[in-house]
Amino acid sequence: MSGRSRTALVLLLVLGLVVLVAGAGGCARDVDTFVFYINEPYVIDPVNAQEEMGINVVNAVFDGLLDFDPKTSELIPAVAESWEPNADATVWTFNLREGAKFHNGRDVTAEDFKYAWERILNVPESGSEIAYHLDPILGAVEMQSGEAAEAEGIRVVDDLTLEVTLAYPFADFEYVVAHPSLAPVPREEVEADPDAYAMMPVGNGPFMMSEPWAPGQYIRVERFDDYWGEPALLDAVEFKIFSDEETAYLEFRAGNVDFTTIPSGQIQSAIDEYGESSDGWEAAPGSQVLLGGELSTLYVVMNNEDEHLSNADLRRAISLAIDRETIAQTVYEGTRTPATNIVPEGIIGWEDGAWEYSRYDVPEAERLLAEAGYPGGEGLPTLQLAYNTGDGHEPLMQLIQQNLRDIGIETEFDPMEFAQLLDVYYEGAHQLGRLGWVVDYPIMDNFLYPLFLSTSADNLAFYDDPEVDEALVAARQIAEEDERVRAYQEIARTIGDDAPVVPVVMYRHRHVVSERVRGFVYSPMILANLHEVWLADDEE
Amino acid sequence: MLAYVVRRVLQFIPVFLGVTLLLFVLRAPGVLPGDPVRLITGERAISPELYQQVVEKHHLDRPLYVQYGYYLQGLLQGDLGTSFQRDMPVRDIFAAKFPNTVRLALAAIVIEIIIGIGAGMVSALKRYSFLDVFVTLSTSILVSVPVFWLGMVMQVLFGIKFKEWGLPFMPISGMSSAQFPDWAHIILPAITLASVSTAYTARIMRSQLLEVMGQDYIRTARAKGLSSNAVVWRHAFKNALIPVVTFIGIDLGAMMGGAILTETIFNWPGVGYEIFLAIGQRDWPIVMGGVIIIVFAVMIINLIVDISYAFLDPRIRYGGEVR
Repeated sequence: MSGRSRTALVLLLVLGLVVLVAGAGGCARDVDTFVFYINEPYVIDPVNAQEEMGINVVNAVFDGLLDFDPKTSELIPAVAESWEPNADATVWTFNLREGAKFHNGRDVTAEDFKYAWERILNVPESGSEIAYHLDPILGAVEMQSGEAAEAEGIRVVDDLTLEVTLAYPFADFEYVVAHPSLAPVPREEVEADPDAYAMMPVGNGPFMMSEPWAPGQYIRVERFDDYWGEPALLDAVEFKIFSDEETAYLEFRAGNVDFTTIPSGQIQSAIDEYGESSDGWEAAPGSQVLLGGELSTLYVVMNNEDEHLSNADLRRAISLAIDRETIAQTVYEGTRTPATNIVPEGIIGWEDGAWEYSRYDVPEAERLLAEAGYPGGEGLPTLQLAYNTGDGHEPLMQLIQQNLRDIGIETEFDPMEFAQLLDVYYEGAHQLGRLGWVVDYPIMDNFLYPLFLSTSADNLAFYDDPEVDEALVAARQIAEEDERVRAYQEIARTIGDDAPVVPVVMYRHRHVVSERVRGFVYSPMILANLHEVWLADDEE
Repeated sequence: MLAYVVRRVLQFIPVFLGVTLLLFVLRAPGVLPGDPVRLITGERAISPELYQQVVEKHHLDRPLYVQYGYYLQGLLQGDLGTSFQRDMPVRDIFAAKFPNTVRLALAAIVIEIIIGIGAGMVSALKRYSFLDVFVTLSTSILVSVPVFWLGMVMQVLFGIKFKEWGLPFMPISGMSSAQFPDWAHIILPAITLASVSTAYTARIMRSQLLEVMGQDYIRTARAKGLSSNAVVWRHAFKNALIPVVTFIGIDLGAMMGGAILTETIFNWPGVGYEIFLAIGQRDWPIVMGGVIIIVFAVMIINLIVDISYAFLDPRIRYGGEVR
């Protein structure tokens, strides 16, 4: 055998050995690290944190003025130990607690909130897309356009007192400040190296970044021992970045991931194997599959200014014709719930069936269609049904088309690119079309005000009812919460009677948690309560 | 030789301009529907200030040729633009991902070279033996098995089942973890990525070597009394290698573009998946940046392959002097 063939043989043997040794490398993993599946986040700096993945990292690393209770979505104190509005909810005073610290050891002060919020509002500089959270604050709009250097309404009274003046009364403003992206930010860390801060933000939450974000791989955080509240029970959390949920689920089954998404088609087998959580949000051994509601609704927007769709009875008939249960069960394999209301379950004040026409009732639909002047669909031209291509909406749209055909309404698909679809909607060039709405805060206002106020840019139904406008503005001024919720419930019913849009399904979790995890809740706000979670020691 | 290399490098320029121009025209308003600002900012209505800011940042208010000028200007300074969706420079995104793709591609190529060429040689030299039949049969199977299926079967087998059975198991995905050394993570994705190409390499090597072994000069070599090892290694091997090197070179170029399926299945943070995602999100700066990097990589690899011919076959010479 010549030297070269010997070399080749040796190389082959080495390769074989490598494969074997790799196999032998398996060992027990670090028991106190919770491994949390995420997709690659867009941003993990609160200045522009907006999607589920980035927000969950921000929520672990930062603490805002207030926080949401993971199960009830009600407000709980965080950096602010107390807070109160004035009589008409235009001036809010937040009293910060002593001893809240950033991960660099410095105390959190009111100035840090002012800095963080103005950093967001300085849109010409930050390019932040989440400045709309702060729109209610006096001077916020001016700052976004670059007309003002600071927001007049954000005032630091002293180190521990922040006073916020709003441009208009807004009694639910306290829910806004609980949004994870409105957390305090230490100016000295950002200014020292803005690019480094984006990859490894220094916060004030129960966990601190232990190394910079490794794109495509992981974001690692560890317990912050000087946290103002009870320190986290976990030593560390690894947000493991996956590009494919099938792979993440395989890792989960192999015992390498503690929290993941269940790929579609495997929900039932996951329930059989891991058990379903009783409330859908909290996991316990043997009831590890989470199918609780999320705060978002998929709906069909109808152009209320259209010559035919301006007829409320026609809109009601369309809404009654949609078989939501079949859509939820077939198109979404049971991972969605029929929407009986534009406001989804989990929002404070949600009422099942609040929208009278958001149900499936063919005879009633046919009756109303006749009442609208189109018996059996006669006299009604073919309506355009728009949706965005490339995201797998075709089965949903086909069922909707079939449902409408069943009562005599003919529709024609108008599929297009998402950006083009938005253009069409904003211009009001649509008749019927698919849309979804995800809330930022668990309050009814967050659905009703943007979607149905006649002057709102997000009111793509072009719904215009002066009484509803007035009621929406008035409700924001009701200081007493129960009374305010009742007012919103009333408004929701009023809008529902007009059926300006067709709520179709509400989103639900489809997650699973490993058996060793204790105390884990994945809230309707799609936030994990990581600082309250611990791992059972008996697991290997 | 130097003149040849310089000429080839100069040829990069028109190719480069052509590719960037084509990509630029494809994303022009009117060709692609929809307002690019909406793509960037998403479903929620935005303030006119933010709208204006996005327009200015990406020069969307300027004519297309001016935008292209800006793009080229940035490109010459090493700036590939800023992602629409993620507020990050495209250069940084690929700087983080490209080395991973290169690592995976090199590991796959090593497997392809060692196993593909080795199996092809064994198969040719021991024609019609059990080994030959085995190689022919297994390469046929490998060529016809879908990559994603092979990957998932290996994940379930070596990652989950081996662990359940108490056997030494392997990492399922990712590039690193607390329980495995980093290099262990590359094994399954590299085997998956290399599978089809290895089979092709083996088949090409087999047929080439068989052809060469039937040539007159091989018979002459044997007649001279050379040992069969010397005949194979000194005379047959190098000549049989040229088509194989071409194939492997093209394959390496293709792998530099990232392997979408393999990267996705094994959660390997490479450029292929990044580009795939960006296409779905209509994030044109990432798509363009990615394509430019791929074009560059393929051109350089092709150049290297062409140069390597000269070493394999003394009859091939580059430069103008030979007529």
